[in-house]
Amino acid sequence: MIPADILSDGFFAAVAAIGFGAISDPPMRAFPYIAALAAAGHALRFCLMEALGVDIASASLCASFLIGMGSLWFGTRIRCPMTVLYIPALLPMVPGMYAYKVVFSLIMFMQNLADPVAGEHYMQQLFLNAVVACSVIFMLALGATLPIFLFNDKAYSLTRRKKP
Amino acid sequence: MIESEDELKRVGRFIAEYAARLLGAGVHTSRVVRNSKRIGRSQGVDVRMTTLQKTVVMTLCTPSGSIVRTEVIDIAALPIGFELNSDLSALSWEACDEHLSLEELRRRYERIISKPRIDPMFVLVVVGLANASFCKLFGGDWTAVGVVFTATLIGFYTRQRLQLRGVNHYIVFVVSAFVASICASSALMFDTTAEIAIATSVLYLIPGVPLINGVIDIVEGHVLIGCTRLIHSLLLVFCIAAGLSATLLLVKNSLL
Repeated sequence: MIPADILSDGFFAAVAAIGFGAISDPPMRAFPYIAALAAAGHALRFCLMEALGVDIASASLCASFLIGMGSLWFGTRIRCPMTVLYIPALLPMVPGMYAYKVVFSLIMFMQNLADPVAGEHYMQQLFLNAVVACSVIFMLALGATLPIFLFNDKAYSLTRRKKP
Repeated sequence: MIESEDELKRVGRFIAEYAARLLGAGVHTSRVVRNSKRIGRSQGVDVRMTTLQKTVVMTLCTPSGSIVRTEVIDIAALPIGFELNSDLSALSWEACDEHLSLEELRRRYERIISKPRIDPMFVLVVVGLANASFCKLFGGDWTAVGVVFTATLIGFYTRQRLQLRGVNHYIVFVVSAFVASICASSALMFDTTAEIAIATSVLYLIPGVPLINGVIDIVEGHVLIGCTRLIHSLLLVFCIAAGLSATLLLVKNSLL
């Protein structure tokens, strides 16, 4: 059932991107493209992690690079700045479960100050989850911004009507 | 061409207002600087600017350097607006390509900033759906998805109401995170993936835009404002954590 899993992964990522994007008031014409980018990016990360066993940070970097390139291409077509398209599309990849576990381990650590074994376990959990969460967020922003550095002139004139 | 102090003053006021509006609406710094300089060029003015989290300082001068003027303007904290970002960027290109006069620029600018935002009720429903699909992505089952949908509706509604009343936004974040997670902890009563439900219920609050903008600003060399943005969003993340912790302290025995 791998193809079905990939499709449903992409579908839920698209819904999530539209919803979280709506908070930031993007132009109406951008919604279909935000959904498409989010679905493609998240499904790519899912494939890389499930099929090839890539770790979550590298997989996020590949996925966000794909989203960045896609936003450059779509941005030219609908005259939208890249960030308007790629920031909502990245949001479904934000490592929420890891962030939650950071909070949870912190609380459990504080509750187990008298018990060194449990305390050590929760401290280790805290660091592990915090490192993963921070590196994934950094990779997401970096991967999507790379196309701006690579195609400088093009990325800076997406909203221009008259192309030189 | 600018010939008098008075003309430069009018151009300066407009560009300062434009830049402050963009920064307030969550646009990353290098774009604001580029757009402002472009508008300045279209009016025959050199613009040099420094941006901080709460103020913009800019100096405008005529190409010959005979008239110089400095503008300092406060940045109001506006809700993030991607449509504004897109339209105002397009306006700067229009100014440059169509050689608009300052009056015409001002008229188009007023029209862009008076556009209505997306209907809050619509946003409420799609945010609920979005958080519910998030729960599914993290491996929650359908009961958990339903619980998260309801919890998000209640939490996000709380956030909207509190923001309308002008409550301090750190308090808004703590309260909404607590409300959403305590609602989601009702999943503990069912035989379902309750931990995933509680964890995802607060994710609609994550300040994704300033987090990503912060990293973009830092890698593009605007390190100071980039760090400011990151610190600001980290404070908001801590507020979410505080609200969530309150719930976890109440229910932690059922989660272990």
